Amino acid sequence: MSAETTSIMGLFESEEEALAAINEIKELGWEVQEVHSPIPSEKISAVLKRKKSKIGWFTLTGGITGFITGFSVAIFAATRWNLIVGGKPIISWFPFFVIAFELTILFAVFGNVVGLLTQVGLPTKQDDTYDPVCSGSFYGVLAGAKPEESEKLKDFLQNKGALASSFSQTT
Amino acid sequence: MSQLTFEEINTTVLKTLDKPTPGYWRIVALLFTGVLVLFGCWGYQIVNGLGVAGMNTPVHWGTYLINFVFWVGIAHSGTLISAILFLFRAGWRNPIARAAETMTVFAVMIAGIYPMIHLGRLWVVFYMLPLPNQRFLWPNFQSPLIFDIVAISTYFTVSSLFWFTGLIPDFAIVRDRSEGMRKKIFGFLAMGWTGKSGQWLNYSRGYLLFAALAAPLVISVHSVVSWDFALGVTPGWHTTIFAPYFVAGAIHSGLAMVITLMIPLRKLFGYEKIITIEVLESVAKTIIFTGLIVGFAYGTELFIAWYSGSSIEQESFWWRAFGTYAPQYWIMVVCNTVIPLAFLFKKVRTHIVALFVISIFVNIGMWMERFVIIIGSVAHDYLPNAWGFFAPTLFEFAIMFGAFCLFFFLFLLFAKHLPSVSMTEMKEHVHHRSHS
Repeated sequence: MSAETTSIMGLFESEEEALAAINEIKELGWEVQEVHSPIPSEKISAVLKRKKSKIGWFTLTGGITGFITGFSVAIFAATRWNLIVGGKPIISWFPFFVIAFELTILFAVFGNVVGLLTQVGLPTKQDDTYDPVCSGSFYGVLAGAKPEESEKLKDFLQNKGALASSFSQTT
Repeated sequence: MSQLTFEEINTTVLKTLDKPTPGYWRIVALLFTGVLVLFGCWGYQIVNGLGVAGMNTPVHWGTYLINFVFWVGIAHSGTLISAILFLFRAGWRNPIARAAETMTVFAVMIAGIYPMIHLGRLWVVFYMLPLPNQRFLWPNFQSPLIFDIVAISTYFTVSSLFWFTGLIPDFAIVRDRSEGMRKKIFGFLAMGWTGKSGQWLNYSRGYLLFAALAAPLVISVHSVVSWDFALGVTPGWHTTIFAPYFVAGAIHSGLAMVITLMIPLRKLFGYEKIITIEVLESVAKTIIFTGLIVGFAYGTELFIAWYSGSSIEQESFWWRAFGTYAPQYWIMVVCNTVIPLAFLFKKVRTHIVALFVISIFVNIGMWMERFVIIIGSVAHDYLPNAWGFFAPTLFEFAIMFGAFCLFFFLFLLFAKHLPSVSMTEMKEHVHHRSHS
């Protein structure tokens, strides 16, 4: 982005107000840069056309790795001495399945954690535009406009019921 | 609950993190003394040997294993509430999910200590892990005891990560409303969370997957614990019913512990508007259900013993009900299946004192169930000349007392230093109720 834009944060008390504002901001040709909310909102994600989460792939990869690891470790340990225990075959699929199942879950969770950290983007530096009230009860809609339209955008947000606005300059 | 606003939820929960009173620290100190009793007795046992406990031939699994199963059981309902009921979208679990999940983490931690206490020679605990070693020895992965190591350590890891993940948005709330060192600590824990729409989208997906993984895990863990017994050929243990029987019992005992913990918590922290009587009532209704399953399992055990035609099984169960440990057996039956039926009456399940008292009875009943199963079967198995008797020594009771102190010590520290109610999940609950 070479052009200079001004970001304005509008703080709304409800999801409905925030959604209405987001829709109109887009219709009026301004940019919705970010939305902060105290709870997850599928409606907001849908309006912002967020892409489907990819975390499931991390979880699946972890799960498959765990399943293979579980069987591999059990088979490796059993075949070191090839001793028959309890009349069962050296490689006993049913008991080893228990180990494979547990490690499937464990590694799937590890994959899930890696997915969470990478996809959510944690740990990260707190944004300068973030308003702490957004973790409490407000929906913060960060909108961007050309500097000459910033007052118009601010008025628009206030008319839509935004209780407060914070400003920041970005280029 | 619908009249609660987001800000009221924040204020109520954050108020619990205010500077603790001297009274709080006195109770913490008292419980810590109990923790010292636990570790003191354990140290004494390490020096003097397992003989200080009452275990002897034929009963080699005494209160250490009883308490191990008891605490794993307590842990299970935490995951039921936080994961399984989350998948079922049961709104009443939201106010108690955080405390229940915390209960899970601490209960598994304590459960994990017991096999180490029972091991005697603690310093060789690593033999159970598949580590390359000079002895060229490897664990036997066909053994249910090794299943147990894998299952319990997986359960502890998954529960802890699930618990921490659930806390991240709440850490951000505390960070945004504190100053100084607390702001720094919670800022570090929140890892820069700001509730962006993209963050929530991925977070919700990850949390859902966590719950979806924790649900089968919790079923598998207590099934594996039951196979510690069921895969042995001991009469009274060697039954296919054991896995579902143990899982139902675990949830039964855990739900009772949830009530035992929630009632003082809501009173002390002024959570009456969050942990409402309807929430406790829902737990009580679930206890009726789990109590009936447990009662059905007791009946099935007796029926199968009779129907099998095996004189050994018949003698084992007859002895359970009318032998040396008959008082424990009947305490188990009455506390777990008869007393919870009082919850069928709305007046009882909406009465705080009645709820608390009945939850204690169920806790006692479930401890007795593990006593009856673990001690009863080996004390009276195939050969009359090998029959024996077990009674816990004072020393074992001291360790048990210490373990309870450790649990409440950790829970008390948690309740005053971290949000004991998930503010985010409560807000979601309020939001969905007002939009439905």
